[in-house]
Amino acid sequence: MGRHLIFTDREAAFLRELVKNDVDFMIVGLSAATLQGAPAVTLDIDLWFKDLRQDGIARALMKVGGFYIPPNMQNPPMFGGEHVQLFDIVLHLDGLKSFAIEVRGAVEVPLGGVTIKVLPLSRIIASKKAAGREKDKRSLKVLQDAYLTIKEYSPAPTRRKKSKK
Amino acid sequence: MRLSPDTIKTLADKRGMNLATLLTRAGVSKTAYYSLTRKDSVFPKSVGSLAEALGVSPSDLVIDREKEARRAKERMSRVAELSAKYPSLDVDNVRHTLILLDLEPEERLRRALLRGQTFDFHG
Repeated sequence: MGRHLIFTDREAAFLRELVKNDVDFMIVGLSAATLQGAPAVTLDIDLWFKDLRQDGIARALMKVGGFYIPPNMQNPPMFGGEHVQLFDIVLHLDGLKSFAIEVRGAVEVPLGGVTIKVLPLSRIIASKKAAGREKDKRSLKVLQDAYLTIKEYSPAPTRRKKSKK
Repeated sequence: MRLSPDTIKTLADKRGMNLATLLTRAGVSKTAYYSLTRKDSVFPKSVGSLAEALGVSPSDLVIDREKEARRAKERMSRVAELSAKYPSLDVDNVRHTLILLDLEPEERLRRALLRGQTFDFHG
């Protein structure tokens, strides 16, 4: 069987629409770590939103044929639809400050034809340490080694977003 | 120079095509394609057709072995340098990070997702 098509223009289109609609969000978790060069493995792309009530989210979803599934007793809030199934919603990260504060230190990474804000590797490590789950502990060594390597050798580091004064 | 099947698959993936679709669009048969990937020198016409179907330059589809070897050597010397400076580092983690730093962020993400899908890793 051939390999599945993964992160094609369909998924990129959703990110482009979020940016186009001025949605405040950033990529976090292991997908954010891999974008910066860490050799991590992940199943999904975690998106941390400042607020899920931003109108632009609904507009971006509509544009790519996706929809929002509100949280209930069993499930956290989710996105539904073929083109957005890779994306998970994050509203809080252990060990980190609020979105408004963390986004000031975000790095900017080109992805899918737009520039996306991404949580810096150092903050991903802080959050994994604070969460302390088995799966977080397993990925810590890779992330820490990658952090040191990138610090020493990154040929073209992703740009750190200028903080607003 | 040798045709790079990985680069071709990656570029095709990005354009939402599988290999069969690409070959059909390029007018290159499967037999001709697999034969090309095994040859040390490639036929410009077929490579030109593949490049045209992907919207890239033919030089983007070939592996320059000398350049690759030079790059790998440089990488390994950086691994050794860094391991000497920080003995607790895992050399494989360093090497894989350096390999990923040579790629575009989008390709790094695609590889991580592909491995996650392949190994059903939960992270």
